[in-house]
Amino acid sequence: MSQNRNLTFGQRFLANEWSALAVAIVIGLVTLATLSSAFLTEFNLYVMLRSFCVVLIVAFAQMLTLAVGQMNLSVGALGGLVAIAVGGMMEKWGFPVPVAILCGLAIGAGGGLINGLLTVRTGINGFIITLATASAFTGINLGITESIPFYNLPASFVAFGTGRISALPYLLLPPVLIAIALAFFLARTVPGRQLLAVGGNPQAAELSGIPRDGVIVMAHTLSGLLAGAAAILAVAQLGSAQPSIGVDWLLMSFAAPIIGGAALAGGHISVAATALAVVLIVIIQNGMVLAKVDPYWVQFLLGALILAAVGLNRLRAVRAGGA
Amino acid sequence: MNHRHHGARLRALPLLAAALFGLAGAAHASDNKIALIPGGPHPYFAPWEQAGKDAAKDFGIAAVDFKVPAEWKLNLQTELVESLVTQGYTAFGIFPGDAVGINSTVEELTANNIPSLALAGCAQDPTKVSFCFGTDVYNSAYLGTKALIEALGGKGKIVHLAGLLVDPNTKLRMDAVEKAASETNGAVTVVQHITDTDAQEAADQKINALLGAQKDEIDGLISTAYIPSVVAAKSLRNLGDKRIKLVGIDDDQIVLDAIKDGFAAGTMAQNPYGQGYVGAYALDLLASGTCTVKADAPFVKTPQTERFIDSGTLLISNANAATYKDDLKKITTEIQTSFKDKYLDCK
Repeated sequence: MSQNRNLTFGQRFLANEWSALAVAIVIGLVTLATLSSAFLTEFNLYVMLRSFCVVLIVAFAQMLTLAVGQMNLSVGALGGLVAIAVGGMMEKWGFPVPVAILCGLAIGAGGGLINGLLTVRTGINGFIITLATASAFTGINLGITESIPFYNLPASFVAFGTGRISALPYLLLPPVLIAIALAFFLARTVPGRQLLAVGGNPQAAELSGIPRDGVIVMAHTLSGLLAGAAAILAVAQLGSAQPSIGVDWLLMSFAAPIIGGAALAGGHISVAATALAVVLIVIIQNGMVLAKVDPYWVQFLLGALILAAVGLNRLRAVRAGGA
Repeated sequence: MNHRHHGARLRALPLLAAALFGLAGAAHASDNKIALIPGGPHPYFAPWEQAGKDAAKDFGIAAVDFKVPAEWKLNLQTELVESLVTQGYTAFGIFPGDAVGINSTVEELTANNIPSLALAGCAQDPTKVSFCFGTDVYNSAYLGTKALIEALGGKGKIVHLAGLLVDPNTKLRMDAVEKAASETNGAVTVVQHITDTDAQEAADQKINALLGAQKDEIDGLISTAYIPSVVAAKSLRNLGDKRIKLVGIDDDQIVLDAIKDGFAAGTMAQNPYGQGYVGAYALDLLASGTCTVKADAPFVKTPQTERFIDSGTLLISNANAATYKDDLKKITTEIQTSFKDKYLDCK
């Protein structure tokens, strides 16, 4: 406590997990705003915020499994399955939008529950289990759709995906609410604390009477639920339920929590830092188009910049540790 | 008596079948089992399924089946081909998952006297596929860009939205767009090629980022892949922008609606149905052992292969949006009816 009082403002700022990310975001914003006057226009801000929504929930879905020292490789495949299920329920069966959404979330949570139960009951690492279930979920997706998307979705649902107030997309509302709920869950509720305790030290958690297996199942179930939520937002955003939804999620799902300082071994995650990491990724992606990067070098630059962001946060952690 | 009647009916059946095939204009009936295999799941190939069924019916082929690899991976495609060979399939129409990589599988097929065609996309020469039957991607991209330039009144800045960067056809399309623009002596410039937009979410992110940052600076979009055409049409509609002209590819309903409502100037139709239908017809003839590819067949030379047959392409605009399907059918019929004489030597 007394040590904290003696820290300078700079040292206290550095001690925050999100400080390096905040600096990187400010640098990115200033650079891109200088490069292009269009960067800060209302429409471009809307476009960036819209891209932010799905990626953020996907990152949270992975973050929860990382919290207990597990991985969910099926995050995109489960998302794809929920996407086509929701689309199919609305187009083919005429389900009302809220019913289809609830069923979609239930499928997501159900998929996560299967991942969790298989992991704890078999004792096989979640990495392998979710690798296998990812293939199964994708198989069901393709078996149902034969790669043909569901296009005829209710107008109100599609309008939600494209509507906006000034630069703020309607789509932003669910991820913001999820972020607040998640921050509260992890910081203030018993299951949330148990999640981090199991990730931090499984043996100690078990000795303290925390049901380790139950917590792992809960983490996977919540991860599936969030993957489902992300998929439903993606369907609204794209205006059609595409079987390919989720195909590109895996890299971002890991990149954001890890840039945000999550420990792969579990026990340490941050909602705020993960959200800032997603902001940074979205700015990088937007900047690629804005800077007219040679298409053959986009992938390289994206990887290099994400690596730089991880490095920057690591440097901050070392400095903060030194302080 | 019953037996006699039954026997008479049985004897009559082949005659009836022969008469029916004769009426349908089928050249022959065959025991061939043909597989049409795309590179992976993609809505572009959906018409192949019906085309296969129609070809089986019209030409009396035992089976023409549409078989899709689970993912866009060459190894999954080759495993599927090998599995189908063991199940008794006698000919293959393949969209190469990799233009060069597919050739080793094709060589195995040829070694077992199983003919194969490259459908919708070509295998890179030297290759053992009998020929490549698909859209002339260079020509399609070139004609699409010319149509866009015309819609722009001959001047402006355009952006090219392209598909998978690992697809060698993407480079051909980029070159074609550049060539069409260069013919305007600087009046039309290609500001940017945006690639890897053949997945919906990536396309949504990249195309909206483009419109967000540069919508006032660009005048036209030429899309040479299915998904970005759909996404661009939708994004322009959301933006309410009819100033930026779009010419897409393929006939997804979203693109056709955008043409009708003025958010797109046109789209380049390909002929996936014709590829599947004529492809199955040709494979049946080749697999029957009675026909071989003519040494002096009038193939088109492309950068990928010296044995290319164009399956037809045309611009869909407001003028022909209602009739283009008939035009494509006409092209398919024309190619099919003259195919045997033009490209094959038959006993």
